[in-house]
Amino acid sequence: MHRGKGMKFVGDSRVPVKSRKFIPPKDYSEYPGKTEAFLPNFLLKEWMVGAVFLVGFMILTIADPAPLEKEADPTSSGYIPLPDWYFLFLYQLLKYPAASGQYKVIGTVLIPGLAAVALLAAPWLDRGLERRPIKRPIATLIMLLTFVSMIYLTWESTVSHNWEQAEQQGKIVQTVDFDKSDPGYKLFSQNCSSCHGENLEGAVGPSLIGKNLDPAMVKKMATQGGGQMPAGVFKGSDKDLDALAKFVSDVSKK
Amino acid sequence: MLQKLYDWVDERLDITPLWRDVADHEVPEHVNPAYHFSAFVYCFGGLTFFTIVIQILSGMFLTMYYVPDINNAWDSVYYLQNQVAYGVIVRGMHHWGASVTIVMVFLHTLRVFFTGAYKKPRELNWIVGVLLFFVILGLGFTGYLLPWDMKALFATKVGLDIAASFPFIGDWIKVLLQGSDIVGAQTLARFFAIHVFFLPAALLGLLAAHFLMIRRQGISGPL
Amino acid sequence: MSNKEHDVSRRQFLNYTLMGVGGFMAATMVAPMARFAIDPLLQKKEGTEMIYVMDVKDITTEPQNKKFTVKKVDGWHKFDEQNIAYIFKKKNGDILALSPTCTHLGCTVAWNDDPAHPNQFHCPCHGGRYTKTGINIPGTPPPAPLGVYKTQVKDGKLYLGEVQSRGGA
Repeated sequence: MHRGKGMKFVGDSRVPVKSRKFIPPKDYSEYPGKTEAFLPNFLLKEWMVGAVFLVGFMILTIADPAPLEKEADPTSSGYIPLPDWYFLFLYQLLKYPAASGQYKVIGTVLIPGLAAVALLAAPWLDRGLERRPIKRPIATLIMLLTFVSMIYLTWESTVSHNWEQAEQQGKIVQTVDFDKSDPGYKLFSQNCSSCHGENLEGAVGPSLIGKNLDPAMVKKMATQGGGQMPAGVFKGSDKDLDALAKFVSDVSKK
Repeated sequence: MLQKLYDWVDERLDITPLWRDVADHEVPEHVNPAYHFSAFVYCFGGLTFFTIVIQILSGMFLTMYYVPDINNAWDSVYYLQNQVAYGVIVRGMHHWGASVTIVMVFLHTLRVFFTGAYKKPRELNWIVGVLLFFVILGLGFTGYLLPWDMKALFATKVGLDIAASFPFIGDWIKVLLQGSDIVGAQTLARFFAIHVFFLPAALLGLLAAHFLMIRRQGISGPL
Repeated sequence: MSNKEHDVSRRQFLNYTLMGVGGFMAATMVAPMARFAIDPLLQKKEGTEMIYVMDVKDITTEPQNKKFTVKKVDGWHKFDEQNIAYIFKKKNGDILALSPTCTHLGCTVAWNDDPAHPNQFHCPCHGGRYTKTGINIPGTPPPAPLGVYKTQVKDGKLYLGEVQSRGGA
């Protein structure tokens, strides 16, 4: 520990008299033009920019509520996930043959790793004293190329994504409670659930929940079909048809 | 009254020089958008900080309702978004704030890069800045899982598979991150801890270093 | 002198504007979050539905311990709450359904289980006692009578609603 010579006390701390190597910041009076105090002059301008920014941000927030898909179901298959937009370029990169399959490690580790290290090491990769981008073309060009390729990859990933399917696959499905011991439900699971789902939530066919179906309408659809639904789906007695129609109609009105 | 209280504290702790250093430092013309409109590019750093403040505040409030548990996480998010007054706005602020923070960090990084402000003697601050960028990306990734909806689960699975492709230690990283051999209850708890405690702690530490270095070195000069 | 005065007022003006803009930003950010946080205070209380507990003809003058379940919703958590009522007929024939929650510190009281004090409600925690109609006995810890359930009789059936406090005494 340094003692005595070359040290001085500030309060009860021992500090070197002067650090010879520290590069002091420039005195701003050397800079051209007007300088102004941070508080309150400059901070006021910053906060005005901040206020305008905040208003825009709140409008975005109110206009477009944060999305929420249906609760995660690990057993579901065929869901095509999409990362948040700022990882899309990486997602797209992994689709190319040169960065997938046996070369997967190139896309997942090598390229992002190199980019991260290069970014961290930028001050040592670009050591010249010149700061103007035009005077250090290599650094500028590399950064521009990286930037443009990231935008391109992001764009590619969005045009090749099936947005309609994506919206369908995550939709929150309304469910209602109903009595599964109802005789109508037994008929429903025999005749209808393969298309309309175990809980009437819809599968190949549409959901029946919240549709306010009339019993007569249910009977007609079940026997004669309509729309996408073929005729003669229901096979059973008229009494069963009545029970089924009542059940479906009741649940659809819940 | 306030003045007296201030004087009482100042007499004992001499706090005036502390804030005077921040308050009175001169801001040069070339970063002042009031003189040169193009200087608005120098606002991105400040706006990044502003969005981080929004993220921390809205995140703190969201945890008043949110529970990190696979049986209840989605229900609690659905509840706070649909049943609690202004829940849709508070969650919206956190959701969109995440994207806006990343945009702002991106623009700030590009500004620093293209004005060559990372050069000697500011290399260290550049490194801290890049680390901040990574921490913020990490926050984005871990936060994506928390609502426990379909997209959260399956995007996280992909993300963890990417981590698993790391040579030699990939599988360890994956298990360490997901806390189990599947993405499930323990993953959610772990991501919650990382998202709410570990990464924000790193973020605040790095931010403090970032700002101290700016005060120590001053803003880089005009081009 | 006048120049200096001018300078001060300009600085003050800037400071006030700064506080104004800062206040606007803080308020815009915090207002929705504050309303979000205090929502439990402002949520509308839903009236509890009346639950069938027992038939009127089975009610005696001796308090009977009856359990019944109420469907409760706590945010995203739905559950069945087990409630207990001591039900009996008063001398004038009115039905009284007492809540067994001690008004002292919330323990559950029992009917007639203390040999030293027969025909009283007795709280095991701190020895609080109540008369048969749930009036707290002076000199014991409870500050108020036991709460009573809202009762409704329909078609010879007794339905219970929410507990109503009978105030402090």
